[in-house]
Amino acid sequence: MILSGWESVFFWIFSIAAILAGLLTVMARNAVHSALFLISSLVSVAALFILLGAEFIAGVQILVYVGGVMVLFLFVIMLVNVGAEEAGRAAIFNRPPQIVATLVFLALLALVLIVYVIPKGPQVQSKAAGAEKQQQVDAARAAREQKMDVGATGVSRVSKETERVGTSLYTYASLPFEIASLLLLVAIIGSVMLARTFKQEAAVDDVDPEVLKTTASPTDSAKS
Amino acid sequence: MLQEGGRLANTLYAVKHPDLSKFLVIAAILFIIGVAGVLTRRNIIVIFMSIELILNAANLNFIAFSRYLQDSGSGNPLAGQVFTVFIIVVAAAEAAVGLGIVIALYRNRETIWIDEIDLMKW
Repeated sequence: MILSGWESVFFWIFSIAAILAGLLTVMARNAVHSALFLISSLVSVAALFILLGAEFIAGVQILVYVGGVMVLFLFVIMLVNVGAEEAGRAAIFNRPPQIVATLVFLALLALVLIVYVIPKGPQVQSKAAGAEKQQQVDAARAAREQKMDVGATGVSRVSKETERVGTSLYTYASLPFEIASLLLLVAIIGSVMLARTFKQEAAVDDVDPEVLKTTASPTDSAKS
Repeated sequence: MLQEGGRLANTLYAVKHPDLSKFLVIAAILFIIGVAGVLTRRNIIVIFMSIELILNAANLNFIAFSRYLQDSGSGNPLAGQVFTVFIIVVAAAEAAVGLGIVIALYRNRETIWIDEIDLMKW
């Protein structure tokens, strides 16, 4: 699985974008900025999925993760009214053990990167062998493309990846699929129940809201 | 310096033709950033977002291996993509329930600063 040419350019662009956006997600002071940076990171990772040939998963990621989960995050940030919570830079990075631990882990990460990015031993013996290997990769890609169907316009090719993933989901993974749909049902019911106000709960059971307020939070007396 | 078979030439080749290992390293870096976010931030919602970053890194790992197994032809190569679908489903369900908890918590405690939510601490 070797990317080459423009694919490698896009790989580096999207991977550096994903890492930078992830870093900014964690470092942003404002929660809305964090959400937007996370959206950028998720879209970059979806582009990496497309580079890896998983178009269906990229589409699912953008529709479900970005379009559903992140929009839910933004709604909750709006409801919870984060606002000036992070105003005035909270001192999160000033204690010596913290700095030492961070430096140690960064050194470990740099070591791992150096060991893995620089390949061991000669990968390409000579220019001729390199060109031959490139030809093999291109030939394999061309053979793969020949097997794909031609698109409706006659210009591009349509891959069967989505069809294979769908077949796999409905034949080999049909039981987990049904269990996942049950899980989603439970999550829907649970989240609706968790986010109800006192008035809504009282309206369901025809109970006086005041009774619910006094019995629902017995810990308030413990705190005071 | 650019002699063939030398270290610089090999590095340039590895950079120009990214392999499976580059994807795994990118996923590992995203995972590390997510874990740092979970451990460092004090806003519950940003902690949730870092958890989403962690799950995304795992997804990238799965898809990279799925493509690698397709090309090197062994086992069940589509298992990675099927598993990724399930991870996305579980992440969506977890985000929904978790944010419901956050809303209920905010209604009762008026705070999302996790240092102040310490009722169950020793």
